[in-house]
Amino acid sequence: MVCLAVLLPVFALVVLSQSKPSAIKIPFESYTLPNGLTVILAADHATPTVAVTVWYHVGSKNETLGRTGFAHLFEHVMFTGSGHVPYGLHDNLTEGVGGSNNGTTSNDRTTYYETVPSNYLEDSLWLESDRMGFLLDTLDTNKLNAQRDVVKNERRQGIDNQPYGMANEILSGAMYPPSHPYSWPVIGSMKDLSAASEEDVKNFFRLYYAPNNAFLSIAGDFQPSAARAWVTKYFGGLMRGNPVPRPTANPVTLDKETRLVFEDRVQVPRLYIAWPTVGEKSDDRFALSVLDAITSGPRTTRLTKALVYDQQAAAALNSYQASNEEVGQWVLTITPRPGHSLMELEQAADGILDKLRTEGPTAEEIQRATAGLEFEFVSGLQSNLGKSATLANGAGFHNDPGYFQTEYQKMLAVTPSDVKRAANKYLTKGRVVLSIVPMGQLNQASKPAESKVYRRVDE
Amino acid sequence: MKLRTRLAIASVTVAVTLAFAGFAAIAQQPLDRSKIPSPGKPPELRVPVWIRYSLTNGADLIVSEKRDLPLVSFRITIQGGASQMESSTRRGLASLTASMMSEGTKTRDGEAISNAQQLLGTSIDINIGSENGSIAFQSTTKKFPQALDLLTDMLLNSRFPQDALDRLRAQRLVVLAQAKDQPAAIATRVFAKILYGDSHPFGQNVTEESLKAITRDDIVVFHKVYFRPGRALITVVGDVNAASVRATIEKSLVGWSRGGDKPAFTYPALPSPHPMTIFLVDKPGAAQSTFAIGNPGPPRNTPDYDALQVMNTILGGMFQSRLNANLREEKGFSYGVSSGFAYGKGPGAFRAGGDMVSAKSDAALVEFMKELRGIGGARPVTDDELKTAKDSLIQRLPGTFESVQSVNNAIVSLWIQGLPDNYYHQYISRISAVKKEDVVRVAKQYIDLEHLTIVIVGDRANIEAPIRATGIAPIVLTDIEGGR
Repeated sequence: MVCLAVLLPVFALVVLSQSKPSAIKIPFESYTLPNGLTVILAADHATPTVAVTVWYHVGSKNETLGRTGFAHLFEHVMFTGSGHVPYGLHDNLTEGVGGSNNGTTSNDRTTYYETVPSNYLEDSLWLESDRMGFLLDTLDTNKLNAQRDVVKNERRQGIDNQPYGMANEILSGAMYPPSHPYSWPVIGSMKDLSAASEEDVKNFFRLYYAPNNAFLSIAGDFQPSAARAWVTKYFGGLMRGNPVPRPTANPVTLDKETRLVFEDRVQVPRLYIAWPTVGEKSDDRFALSVLDAITSGPRTTRLTKALVYDQQAAAALNSYQASNEEVGQWVLTITPRPGHSLMELEQAADGILDKLRTEGPTAEEIQRATAGLEFEFVSGLQSNLGKSATLANGAGFHNDPGYFQTEYQKMLAVTPSDVKRAANKYLTKGRVVLSIVPMGQLNQASKPAESKVYRRVDE
Repeated sequence: MKLRTRLAIASVTVAVTLAFAGFAAIAQQPLDRSKIPSPGKPPELRVPVWIRYSLTNGADLIVSEKRDLPLVSFRITIQGGASQMESSTRRGLASLTASMMSEGTKTRDGEAISNAQQLLGTSIDINIGSENGSIAFQSTTKKFPQALDLLTDMLLNSRFPQDALDRLRAQRLVVLAQAKDQPAAIATRVFAKILYGDSHPFGQNVTEESLKAITRDDIVVFHKVYFRPGRALITVVGDVNAASVRATIEKSLVGWSRGGDKPAFTYPALPSPHPMTIFLVDKPGAAQSTFAIGNPGPPRNTPDYDALQVMNTILGGMFQSRLNANLREEKGFSYGVSSGFAYGKGPGAFRAGGDMVSAKSDAALVEFMKELRGIGGARPVTDDELKTAKDSLIQRLPGTFESVQSVNNAIVSLWIQGLPDNYYHQYISRISAVKKEDVVRVAKQYIDLEHLTIVIVGDRANIEAPIRATGIAPIVLTDIEGGR
């Protein structure tokens, strides 16, 4: 072992000297405007496009009970025009000139982005600054109502009319107390979406959409001096807002197992097990991500090998560590093959995880789990949009646009004992076990007698 | 209210700029935000260059050097796919064969193949689709030789163990069962069945029966017949030297011996068209109705391709296209509505559709028909629409050569469709030449309003009567396989 430790760095040096320099690097500059807007510039002339990401530190966790889904509904309203930008022009100056645009809302942040041919950077900055500064000038109830209907259809398409679509919502609802800001789904409930008012839009905008709560990240084919001048021109005059309140979203622990069963319009049952874990701010998430990578995926990972290949009791299986800003979940999903019950699969999975908690993983398993990180990272560098998002996430969550390098190093540094410790600390008896079963087949649940029936709340 | 908001912001602007001398210039020259910035000179179109070789075994090789990052994209593409090479009673054979190539070679078992890929940080992906197939990976430059050796082993030395076939088949049967619950999957299967019928490969869906009929012998034979260098293109894009990578590939693939022809791509006649009909698939309790509206379309080599691209961009290719602007943005019936052509060697479908809230299924159908009639001439194409569609198509091109994989895709698609090497250089002038009358002409010619197939998967109890009341077309009830 000592020999290996000495040899490894030498080997790494040789390899590095043969490959391209600076592979794990995104050259960037960052500064803050007097109004609090953080600006990140990463010029790279490989592809003649520019990606602009505007990252607001607001998500569904900033919502209040009775207005769930509002942060995301608001995101839709941001595409309906602003003071000097008539409805539709945003699309015409992005998609209509060969680019693209979109927005996403999570529990913690809302991101708006566009990729445009590089000669349209100034237009993108004009568009983004106008909705940051002047959204309310042209807001009207008709626009809000149309987007409310669109979002309700987004919910129907992604959740209500989708087999197993309710799973995440049920798991989060069971994992967190009702007052916890991660307990409700980002998409919100139909009832709350119906209740959202124009006044809600105004208050939300004034509080959360000020430059001091935003990060502007530009990556691609541009001249930094021109970009700086345009940023000042369009964003410099926007008014700083009030300090933004940050809701408390403490980590949770469950003192015992919560068991649920949900009847869905499915023919094949499925088992979900979710454990409360940590979020972006805790380094334990690296060990939990590696734990995920050695548990499911390729056929030599522990659970996949045991349940899908050796026992052939599962048709499909996956796991993931989902890191929100403050809190996370480690979720395991198992789809059985005919003739195998959810209970059998739960017991088999528990047996494998027990062994992992007791013995820990091998060094080779860790190596397999992290060997692909370099390729993934370098491959990601090809996308201007990917780069602008990576820098914005680092700045928004970690106050460091270059956080991706820290993250990369910390992933590579995870040891077998880190993973063993994380498995013992987080994959405990305090968890949520959800069986999704065909209608009228509650007895297909894992331990049906101990599982509480979850019922859908209709609109 | 409007005025006050803007005044308040303007006054604070002054306060901020006074406090920071660096921004004084802006305070002196108030910004006219109503002025749309005029874009500068468009970026130059830089089409990647590539070199073409013939390998000793008859395969084509194209290498495109792209050396800004230590990455390589490697692919072997095979002309022809399930539609040419599968028998009608063995639908699913091509795809199962592809998966079986990861299950073990003469010197590596399935686990060894998996571990090797993980340690190389790559994934060797094997897919056989309707008209072509591929075996491909991306890797860092330094892992490229080892990844290529692994790919070669999987291509040439696969053992196709029976127990792996049994496992893969069982997994696919579960996926097939789950698809019966997914409205989008049901709509796709029924739409294909009705457009192409039982005797056309495009209408022959994979079924439980066809999967169960496949034997190990079928797979061994399919693999042997299909993967031949005479119908293959090898593409390498990225951080390589063309001459030396050619030598590396010749050496690695020395065991892949000559043979194989490009298939003819002849398809049986399409079923005779029926008058426009609504095919309703009942999905009790569905919150939305999934629409698939269309007809068989032209092959990729149609001389009308450019006009069709412009036409579809106006109709349903973009967010602000007519369909989405109307049914989503104006009416709020859906989260997204679009249209497109599935271009290939055969009569790939024109399809418009999306998921509509159940209660508005009838109104959505009326609007779909209005837009389809509109693009065929009832609603004239405006100058703005034509310009935006062309700008979008033309100015998208420079950004499409972003990654080693996207360059590889761009090269492969020319080879598959038999398009010239200077295709991308001529693209701008071809799209520019499309006129309004071309748009209307191709809409009329390729969207056959008299004979449209309209598949709707939704809650019959709630939607059948209102849809019937629109009087748009007769309703035929079908099951989830398109049977009546």
